[in-house]
Amino acid sequence: MERIGIWIAALLTLGIFSFLYKDNPFYKFCESLFVGISAGYWFVTTFWQVFMPKLADNLVAGRFYYMIGAIFGVLMLLRLFPKIGWLSRWSLALVVGTTAGLYFTRYLVSNGMIQVQNTIIPLYVKGNLSQTIGNLVIVIGTFSGLIYFFFSKEHKGTFGGLAKLGIWFLMLSFGASFGYTVMSRMSLLIGRMDYLLGTWLGLIR
Amino acid sequence: MRRQLPILIVFVSGVFMVIQYFIPHESFEFIYEYAMDWIIIIGIFAMLLGLWSLTRASVSKVQAKAPGWGFSVMTLVGLATMLFLGFYKGNKSIAEGTFFMDLFWYIYTPIQATMFSLLAFYIASAAYRSFRVRTVLATILLVTALIIMLRLIPLGPISGVNQWLASWILTVPNMAAKRAIWIGVGLGATATALKIIFGIERAYMGKD
Amino acid sequence: MKKTKAVLFSILIILFFFNLSFPQENLSPPPPTEVRASDTQNDNGHSITITWKLSGDDGAGKKNVVAYEILRSELPTGEFVVRGMVPAGNNTYQDRGAKEKEDKNYFPPHKDFYYKVRAKTLNSYSESEVAGPAQAYGEWFHLGKLPVFVGTLAFTIMVLAFISLARKGKEFYVRPLAGIDAVDDAIGRATEMGRPILYILGLGSAADIATIASFTILNRIAKKTAEHKTKIIVPCNDPIVMSVAQETVKAGYLDAGRPDMYKEENIFYLTSMQFAYVAAVNGIMLREQTATNFYLGKFYAESLILAETGSVAGSIQISGTDEIAQIPFFVAATDFTLIGEELYAASAYLGREPLLLGALKAQDLAKAIVMISLASGAVAASFHLDFFLRLFTVQM
Repeated sequence: MERIGIWIAALLTLGIFSFLYKDNPFYKFCESLFVGISAGYWFVTTFWQVFMPKLADNLVAGRFYYMIGAIFGVLMLLRLFPKIGWLSRWSLALVVGTTAGLYFTRYLVSNGMIQVQNTIIPLYVKGNLSQTIGNLVIVIGTFSGLIYFFFSKEHKGTFGGLAKLGIWFLMLSFGASFGYTVMSRMSLLIGRMDYLLGTWLGLIR
Repeated sequence: MRRQLPILIVFVSGVFMVIQYFIPHESFEFIYEYAMDWIIIIGIFAMLLGLWSLTRASVSKVQAKAPGWGFSVMTLVGLATMLFLGFYKGNKSIAEGTFFMDLFWYIYTPIQATMFSLLAFYIASAAYRSFRVRTVLATILLVTALIIMLRLIPLGPISGVNQWLASWILTVPNMAAKRAIWIGVGLGATATALKIIFGIERAYMGKD
Repeated sequence: MKKTKAVLFSILIILFFFNLSFPQENLSPPPPTEVRASDTQNDNGHSITITWKLSGDDGAGKKNVVAYEILRSELPTGEFVVRGMVPAGNNTYQDRGAKEKEDKNYFPPHKDFYYKVRAKTLNSYSESEVAGPAQAYGEWFHLGKLPVFVGTLAFTIMVLAFISLARKGKEFYVRPLAGIDAVDDAIGRATEMGRPILYILGLGSAADIATIASFTILNRIAKKTAEHKTKIIVPCNDPIVMSVAQETVKAGYLDAGRPDMYKEENIFYLTSMQFAYVAAVNGIMLREQTATNFYLGKFYAESLILAETGSVAGSIQISGTDEIAQIPFFVAATDFTLIGEELYAASAYLGREPLLLGALKAQDLAKAIVMISLASGAVAASFHLDFFLRLFTVQM
């Protein structure tokens, strides 16, 4: 069974790699099988690992507040019936409203206040030139980056110059992220090559 | 009424979630925990809608004998097989060693890993196309990427300088730019949340 | 007899002075003092904080204290049980418990508890006086989050104030954004070529703010595609996202006065698994030959696969995400990218509705306040003044 499985896995791997050349029936076969299997897998595992403990077990244990969630869940399913499908908006409203309220403070704190707190650093550190330069760069970089994201003023004159400095900082950061990720992506390819040449064909030990 | 009630639900649930953030008392903790669980439960019921959509789209293609309808059959076969195998033995169906998990390990996992590995090719082609653009900004992006990429490679006499430069770029200007983006995102997301809660933004509610 | 008494008396004198020279060692360390037990601040009411002054042999004196044990009882003279231990050098402990009554570690609020602290060496210990009674109770406002509360109120007031100005007819200027200016041309291109538009909401759920922001943009783009009579395809990876997307697109078509053109089968669910979704979307891009691709929302590693495939298909690509790790790939591989906050501003730009532009202005005002605080705070910090820092410090 394991040997058959390895052959199937290897052939499917080659099918996906064939997409690099162009779209072809081999890739389409792999893609359609992948979609069907993944949707089924996700539904089954979510049912046993989330639905049963979250809803069924809680209701059996007498925690009837969970019925409210179940009622909203059933309302969601009414989308399948056009005449009463509008009731599903109540469930969507609960999801969207709860999310908005939750993330309102979360983003304000973690993305706003904590980042500003961490950027309020001394511009001059006595006896430590490298930290002084580093702190200056961080404060100027953050400030000019925020200038770039200012929507109310056109990027002209001094303001435009600062905005340009901001986008240079942004590009530098994007380049750093790009370079940082390259090696990890290469290792993914090495992993697949190892599977094909080693596990499947036995050419590498 | 059809539109007003959902907007009221959005407002009440949104305001409740904002208020509960400031109230540590356990009576408000329960509201938070239940709200999170209700959202998960709604998502679980919505899974059936998802499966219905996928099935309907595939069956329509097969019935209409649209181009590539044979592949839709494959999708349906894959889906039906996993659903059958995932339920016929009850909760033991997804234990290790079952045929359900064999399909996961020998079909799903290798395809997923291969899709992920395509990034190795795409990252190279993206870098090549960026470099052809030849603007100052693209140059800054690629030169920085090169410095960071080469930091792990022995480069003889300039290894030390490159490693120091890469480390400094990652901890100083990179951090500055990230903070600017994070702060902007924080304000933007907060404003979007506020617009949703107050019903200023309501396109997602639909219209009749 | 007299001689015997004299000898005994001499021995006693010698022993007395011997004892003075070599006093017997007292093995127990000095006990901790000033033990205080009080309700833990800013919590849910199931915790008491105990503080004490360190034993004299902790870091000083014999330096042989290794740990402190904290004991609790329901009565001052009752049986004390150990609740926890901290290493030497620490003078605070939080006695916490569960909030569920069924839990064996349940910590009842509004109940008197008494505490003692025991300083321990390797082979002895000493106990403090009993402190208490102390009760745990939940607070109705977290004082450590006061800066957040002030920020929330201030931001809300700013947004409402600018919206009020917008309602009164005040016009607001916003600078051009390349990604937004390209939207009309991109949709026009699709119309001329007779090819559909692909809109990807990302891999977030409807519980992600970036996805919600993307819905607002989708509504406006759907309206434009309806006006141009161009097909829009919206494959989704979450069923709730699919449901909201269907409502959103339908609303866009209604706004454009073309409800008959709306086809629900164009907004469909594929799968929730990341790379299966991407594989299917790649297929759609190449087989439907989409002229324009929008990637707006929450993206992860698949962003580059989508963008590169769209490039191969010859599509115009407009992207936007708040995921910092994916922005570089979109910048490198797509034609226009909305970076971070620009994604959230996009709906105001596309609709040009005064209320939304007013909210955008409030964002900018908040940003200006942040920039001023940052600059002033950094200068103040250089002189060791922490006023600005304290304005933004939050206790969780």
